[in-house]
Amino acid sequence: MIRDITLGQYYPGDSWFHRLDARVKIIWTFIYIVSLFLIRDFWGYVIVLVTLALIIGISRVPLNFILKGLKPIFLIIIFTFVINMFMTKGTPLIEIGFLTITKEGLRNAFFMGTRLVLLIIGSSILTLITKPIQLTDGIEKLLSPLQKFGLPSHELAMMMTIALRFIPTLLEETDKIMKAQMARGADFESGNIMRRAKSLIPLLVPLFISAFRIAQDLAMAMEARCYRGGSHRTRMNGMRLRKRDGVAALLIILYLTLIIVQAQGILSLLMMSVIQLIQAA
Amino acid sequence: MRNIKYLLQAAIIASAYSVLTIALMPFSYGIMQVRVSEALTILPYYTPAAIPGLFVGCLVSNMISPYGILDMILGSIATLIAAIGSYLLRKRPILVPLPPVITNGIIIGGMLYYAYGIPMPLYACMLWVALGQLIACYGIGYPLLQYLKRYKKIFELH
Amino acid sequence: MQIQVKNLYHIYSEGMPYESVSLEDVSFEIEKGEFVGVIGHTGSGKSTLIQHLNGLLKPKSGQILIDGIDITSGEVKMSDIRRRIGLVFQYPEYQLFEETVHKDVAFGPMNLGLSQEEIDIRVKKAIELVGLNYDEIGQRSPFELSGGQKRRIAIAGVIAMEPEILILDEPIAGLDPKSHADILEMIKVIHSVNNTTIIIVSHNMGDIARLTNKILVLDSGKLVMVGTPAEVFSQADYIESLGLGLPPSAHLMNELRKRGVPVSRDILNIDEAEEELYRLLKQIEGKIDA
Repeated sequence: MIRDITLGQYYPGDSWFHRLDARVKIIWTFIYIVSLFLIRDFWGYVIVLVTLALIIGISRVPLNFILKGLKPIFLIIIFTFVINMFMTKGTPLIEIGFLTITKEGLRNAFFMGTRLVLLIIGSSILTLITKPIQLTDGIEKLLSPLQKFGLPSHELAMMMTIALRFIPTLLEETDKIMKAQMARGADFESGNIMRRAKSLIPLLVPLFISAFRIAQDLAMAMEARCYRGGSHRTRMNGMRLRKRDGVAALLIILYLTLIIVQAQGILSLLMMSVIQLIQAA
Repeated sequence: MRNIKYLLQAAIIASAYSVLTIALMPFSYGIMQVRVSEALTILPYYTPAAIPGLFVGCLVSNMISPYGILDMILGSIATLIAAIGSYLLRKRPILVPLPPVITNGIIIGGMLYYAYGIPMPLYACMLWVALGQLIACYGIGYPLLQYLKRYKKIFELH
Repeated sequence: MQIQVKNLYHIYSEGMPYESVSLEDVSFEIEKGEFVGVIGHTGSGKSTLIQHLNGLLKPKSGQILIDGIDITSGEVKMSDIRRRIGLVFQYPEYQLFEETVHKDVAFGPMNLGLSQEEIDIRVKKAIELVGLNYDEIGQRSPFELSGGQKRRIAIAGVIAMEPEILILDEPIAGLDPKSHADILEMIKVIHSVNNTTIIIVSHNMGDIARLTNKILVLDSGKLVMVGTPAEVFSQADYIESLGLGLPPSAHLMNELRKRGVPVSRDILNIDEAEEELYRLLKQIEGKIDA
């Protein structure tokens, strides 16, 4: 049952993108998301699509993995699209009964819809080409300057690492408890929402108790090995920025510049000036 | 945070949160946001380690499930603020599940409206999320809180 | 017969790159009231098999007939199956969750939809049957009990459903010798009181040899042997080649045989071993005197 869930999104590979430092990838994802909100018209999306195509192509992540990320919010996309199409006021195009599709509505629907799709695809790429453990290391390194302000970034990263490590263990526990209670007649599947909610108690209470028992045992084990926390700890695989990370940083700046320039209309101005120049010559 | 037990309680809460998010996926995600893992937001009643625990849980569960980084950051912040609120309200058990309903309603609802561009009025988005949270936090979380009362010993930090 | 399994096939994670065949063409029969043991190395499919018997897992192909009704067909209600076949998992004390012992034991009967009076009667009966005093512990929190008591209460929770067939997966795992003996006694009582069919998965060959009248031997998903304890353990070398142990006395006899001592193959327990060794020694004594 639960055994069949493949953990996480990571698609193993050795591409240039896979090998980038996790910090660069995290910062890229932020900039990418911000860039989507700077875009004003469809030409901006062309830049984004080309960029995404390059990343997906070079990292060799299969298309169906990418599209898997859209499944959970498929309904939201449809919903957004349809409502935008019918509810926006403006110059009418098609009339179906009392529902009107306006020119603005159509444009809005595609614009918002595209933005949503690009948002999900682009941000899911981060988890597709970065292992969870690399992500936690990256987050720890990025947050470590904040330690001066009291943020316990090492402890947080430790929590993340341990949490990740125990996910398979707790998944197995959940499976076992579910089956044991089902053998006593528990039913987690049928009934309305309130009934199903109540039926989870025989699952959650024993799961909790098991989980906390694990925590107590591990605490003792770590203490016995003189773990004292703190950021003076060294690690086996250090994170080092390489030349390719520098290249990536430059590419990110290039991308952002392109987006901003396009959004301000400077790009089309430039293109028009170039066309005029060619015509004049 | 010097205490190892504190760190491990937080880590295991984070782990449990993530496990519940992925193990009971059909219930969560999609248009109806009943995230069973949100029932765990009552844990600050029992231990302050739940504050970083739930926050990290939200982060980690988004790392391993396909929902995107926006949900990860905003959801985690909403969870963190809620956990602090729940901890502060721990003298009144009936109020403990309330902060996550409010913060997620506002922040995630806002995210759906502004970032996802869902074309419903802002308040509708917020109420929709709050409703799902209500079911998870009061429908599952509150009874869970009552049941765990008998097992208070396991939450001891010293 | 009560249980009939025909050509059971089961595949884990089918369609995924790491799919594996967990049960391959398993067929056997069990009569009502039998005390059956299931043995096999780790990963041989024991847990998978027993989870099929009460409907928790569905086979890829094959049939499971309980009292003539095929439970793998879609028409049978799960609650009907679980009413008749109780399954106690390994370390069952980890499934306790209710506020009081009474309420936890009542969980199963309650899911069967019985009346409150019937539930209370069954709860008391089950707790007494597992050797505990209802008045003493009925209202206590399960968390306060000792490990051995918790396990008994967990088993009581399944017995309270009054199944005709009781399956136990490693019921003595992690117990100290006294609790180990107590729990086995308890299972024997359950067996004799209601003529409940018992199926027990265990690595403890001594227990299996002592208690069961039929043994199913699994190896890598296949059922390789079915027989009485005497039949199964007399094949000492084969059993050992499967990575399994022997009952202690049988093991001793086998080691002696390997060193050339002509002891019988049918020794299962300490008393038989003692008699056999005494007989042999008398023989040798006779030869020396002569």
